[in-house]
Amino acid sequence: MAGNSSGARERILARIRDAAVRSGGADLIDTPLKPTAGLSGPADVLAGIFPPIGDARARFLTECASNLMEAMETADAAASAAALVTVLNSLPEGELYVQDVPVLRSLIERATIAQPVRWSSQGAPAASTQVSLTLAHAFVAQTGSILISSQCGGRGASIVAPCHIVYGTGVQVVPDIAAALALAQAKGLTEASYAGLISGSSRTADIEKILVQGAHGPRRLVVIIED
Amino acid sequence: MTAMPRKVALFVPCFVDQVVPQAAVDALTVLRRIGCEVIFPADQTCCGQPAFNSGHWSEARPCAERFVRVFGDSECVVAPSGSCVSMVRTHYPDLLPVGPLRDDAIALGQRTYELTEFLVRIAGVNDVGASFPHSVTYHASCHATRELGIYREPLELLAHVRGLELRPLPAEGDCCGFGGVFSVKFGAVSAAMGDTKLANVDSTGAEYVTSIDPSCLMHLEGVIGATKRKVRPIYLGSILAQQQEAAQ
Amino acid sequence: MSTASRQFVQRAAVKAADLEHRATIERNIQTYDAAVARGRLRFADWEAARNACEAIKAEAICHLDRYLEQFEKNITARGAHVFWAEDAAQADAYVATLVKQRGVKTVVKSKSMATEEIHLSAALEKAGATVWETDLGEFIVQLRDEPPYHIVTPAMHLTRYQIRDLFREKLGADVPDADPQKLVAVARVALRRAFFSAEMGISGANFLVADAGMVALSTNEGNGRLTTTLPRLHVVVAGIEKIVPRLADLALLWPVLAAAGTGQPITTYSTLIGGPRCADEPDGPEELHVVLLDNGRTNLLTAPETAEVLRCIRCGACLNMCPVYRQVGGHAYGTTYPGPIGSIFTPRTVEMREWGHMAYACSLCTACKSVCPVKIDLPKQLLLVRRDFVAAGDVKPAENVGFRGFRWVVESARRFAAGGWLLRKSQAVVRALGFSRSPLDPMYVWTKYRAPMPVPRQSFRAWWRQHGRQ
Repeated sequence: MAGNSSGARERILARIRDAAVRSGGADLIDTPLKPTAGLSGPADVLAGIFPPIGDARARFLTECASNLMEAMETADAAASAAALVTVLNSLPEGELYVQDVPVLRSLIERATIAQPVRWSSQGAPAASTQVSLTLAHAFVAQTGSILISSQCGGRGASIVAPCHIVYGTGVQVVPDIAAALALAQAKGLTEASYAGLISGSSRTADIEKILVQGAHGPRRLVVIIED
Repeated sequence: MTAMPRKVALFVPCFVDQVVPQAAVDALTVLRRIGCEVIFPADQTCCGQPAFNSGHWSEARPCAERFVRVFGDSECVVAPSGSCVSMVRTHYPDLLPVGPLRDDAIALGQRTYELTEFLVRIAGVNDVGASFPHSVTYHASCHATRELGIYREPLELLAHVRGLELRPLPAEGDCCGFGGVFSVKFGAVSAAMGDTKLANVDSTGAEYVTSIDPSCLMHLEGVIGATKRKVRPIYLGSILAQQQEAAQ
Repeated sequence: MSTASRQFVQRAAVKAADLEHRATIERNIQTYDAAVARGRLRFADWEAARNACEAIKAEAICHLDRYLEQFEKNITARGAHVFWAEDAAQADAYVATLVKQRGVKTVVKSKSMATEEIHLSAALEKAGATVWETDLGEFIVQLRDEPPYHIVTPAMHLTRYQIRDLFREKLGADVPDADPQKLVAVARVALRRAFFSAEMGISGANFLVADAGMVALSTNEGNGRLTTTLPRLHVVVAGIEKIVPRLADLALLWPVLAAAGTGQPITTYSTLIGGPRCADEPDGPEELHVVLLDNGRTNLLTAPETAEVLRCIRCGACLNMCPVYRQVGGHAYGTTYPGPIGSIFTPRTVEMREWGHMAYACSLCTACKSVCPVKIDLPKQLLLVRRDFVAAGDVKPAENVGFRGFRWVVESARRFAAGGWLLRKSQAVVRALGFSRSPLDPMYVWTKYRAPMPVPRQSFRAWWRQHGRQ
């Protein structure tokens, strides 16, 4: 690619190494880096920094509410399908973009949907997509976040449409961000090109520090949690 | 609590000595009232803070050397100022190169106290028999509160002043805007910060604003005068020096 | 005095007198203060959080070279390109070349102070692209042709009415009642067109995660997500100090960044980018380029005492707490990074002579130190800048003379007493002649803004000689 920067690279690294030597930290250059395993290091440090989570599911639902997310608890697949339809019926006309995965195929089959459906296997969501439906890897109680990745129907599935619906189960609730990140590393999500936590609808306070929902991302984030 | 030292050496900041000497006189009064024998080593001049804060460390170092020489033999040093004590305790270790002088400075810093800190923590006294029947609000000066951790001591002392009505100051920990050389290098901003601080003082309706730092009060007095406000600044040690029938 | 210094003092004086500006900033800061107070309650032990964050970043800076190499190795394994830029020119040239070679006509930018620092937008416009700032605050100041006012809230200095007028003028969109909700909707529509047509998306990075080889990016608006999803090229510009050792570190850094920056539990979109799209993914950029920027940061490593400055996670808390910043705002500084951190970072990474004066725009109140989540001793670093500024001979000659005079006076108790006597007598004369608070007053630097200091009858030491002994 344009511009071979290896000269610059070596010079920058040399400046850093020279500095370490000059500051008497030469021995630091050879000490091993701290281990990369997810739960060693900061996780033990975290104990005592945050209050204990307690009932993770209850905490998740509380945080969802303060994040201005919508959480719908359902007892079974039929109820989930009904919940989905309720949400879809509240939306303007337009395409529904769905992560192409058997669980969602069967959920869509159960539901009577007015919107035309586009599957992630068919390509990226269109600019005019009204709503997207995906799974998530986990629900994080500490902050009311969903852990998602490009394996959940791609990147656009969680950001392009004005409404994003997430379908998951109660067992997916994890207590905190540390657990979510450990899960992400264990499941190889860091090999996906995108992973992340989403903790609410898109919002901004750039105008007079007044909170406004629905900036560039979805205005509504709905979570259907089935037991 | 350590045993109260008999002899206290009074460290009088340069500007207090020359511009607002009453603060030192009143600190002396209070110290004697609680039974201290106070001496004033007349060889002292300046702790070096103005030079240090301006970045002129080579002009500040001789001040530090002099301070250690003048006060080195003192059992205990007390000053009517948070910022100057902070200079000695917090900044002499930064200013001086590693060596015996620096070690002496560090040790000396451990026995150099701001007045209210000395009264409450060392002498174990929070009632100095003072009387000041006025409404007062307390400005928690930066060096004292954040660098030296002095906060409850001045309030404890004020709580025992007869007739004094203490009114909490909104944003009490906000800087008054003095900042030493800052006050002249950025005079407009400094005065604006003072104005903001005084707006908070005004909101309490208190007759007096007090602090353990005469430098803050000197600056606020200047802004009070320029903005024609009614509130009066008074050094906390001066409140403590007041006794029955002696109110201003 | 450098030009920048003179301008700063002038601008600061103007802003300090602008009461409406002060009131706007005060309102914003109060909202921030309230949010931060609420945010702290989510921590059982905030001090422990600060200590842990300090430890994480200290470790990263201590082994900066090896963590950078680890990051590079892991992210290039997924097909990303990593470009090391020693300075702004190299970084700008690299991205500008990409623009030309890939036929980029439209660029969307997510908020990045690093890209401001290197003036990337100007370089890309010269290369023939139109650049859209997509963070709402940045978009607003871009329309006004202004630099951002604050590193976290770029349009903090504007009211909704000013924004309404701006949108009417520049976008032809009218929102008569200036309702913030509707203003945001206007911006959303305008920027959506840009997002969907842009060939290149540029973002910064809040953190560069070494063990996972991922770029961590936090936004609330979602513009960071769209910028890094829709265009076929994604370019990241990040300072080398953004490195953190492990993905697990974000379990602490993400909540702390949000708590210190805005009082939130976590930023809404906490994104991790590991590379260009994978073969089995339906969307995402085809190319990812990460520009690692030095641009003077390694200067901070040349002495152990200044290395801590590189721990900064750009949360903005020090700005929000700084009473000087609250008075003069972000523009007065004239630099990419204002406030306490900027007043250290700029002289050290750009030029001491030109920018050292910034470190004097500080009353040393230490509020910044008390809030810094990574425990940088900012007041000490400001004093070190002052020390080095003086040592480099960048101070006005008169000041050098003045302090040598000061030294001469304070080295003798007699000279000191004499000097004080002279000061008191001359002030009494000035007062008698009615020169107080005029340029003829030697103390004019003080009395320009304040009533003159009282002139006591005698100094304390004179009083002591007469009355002091018991």
